[in-house]
Amino acid sequence: MTPLAMLLTLSSLMFTLGLLAVLTRRNAILVLVGIELMLNAANINFIGFWRYGPTDPALTGPMFVLFSIAIAAAEAAVGLAIILMVFRHTRSTDLNKLDSLHG
Amino acid sequence: MIPLLILTPLILLAALGAVWKARPVHAALLLALTLALNAILYLVLGADFIGLIQFMVYVGAVAVLIVFSLLITRPGDEAEEIARRPRSLVTGLACSLPVLAVLLFMVSRFETAGSAATDARSVSIEQLGTTLFTTHAPAVMAVGVLLTAVMIGAALFAREPGKKTPTPSDS
Repeated sequence: MTPLAMLLTLSSLMFTLGLLAVLTRRNAILVLVGIELMLNAANINFIGFWRYGPTDPALTGPMFVLFSIAIAAAEAAVGLAIILMVFRHTRSTDLNKLDSLHG
Repeated sequence: MIPLLILTPLILLAALGAVWKARPVHAALLLALTLALNAILYLVLGADFIGLIQFMVYVGAVAVLIVFSLLITRPGDEAEEIARRPRSLVTGLACSLPVLAVLLFMVSRFETAGSAATDARSVSIEQLGTTLFTTHAPAVMAVGVLLTAVMIGAALFAREPGKKTPTPSDS
């Protein structure tokens, strides 16, 4: 198994774990944890392809990861702000209980 | 190759814990561990700066933010979470295992098609900075706008509703 294939396998498994967390968790914050795992799996791919792929003077892989990290941070901030707002309305972060649009 | 062989199972175990642990705080802390191990993986692969950024932004900011949110919302009763786990796990696995199968199939196909370079490679911060502020300057500005918008939006969401901040015209 080449190192690149290993990294790709790692990121596939990590993505699946993130997906599993998103699908099975009932707490909205832990769903966000799953989303972070999926984002990180994508970042591993970028770094892996940059490291073991053909030489790239434009540094596309690391650049992509840099921007991806910035956007992930923004996403986490807004996501948690929304969850806290929902919590203030309903006193719960359980996704099963959030089944109406009425505030 | 050997650091990879050590790191890969560790990352997977930590991620599995983050998905599996019923107690939310444990899951969040294991997510922090996963992200920190990811940063080490980037360092091992030669992307030093990215590894440090990953450590600062993810472990230092995102993971801590998640733990803080858990402290504020205080989710209780993990017994309930465990009780309904079998049913949700069946649905979750039914949806995510096909995805994993497709991904692994594509990885195995890729392995036969491509040949990988194994020379040591690293990226200097100078090189990264030059590329960032020449080739990707518009993207940097776009991210700046995005982060400003996010900051305003998050502050707006987190504001206490109904509480009007006094403006000079009120007095």
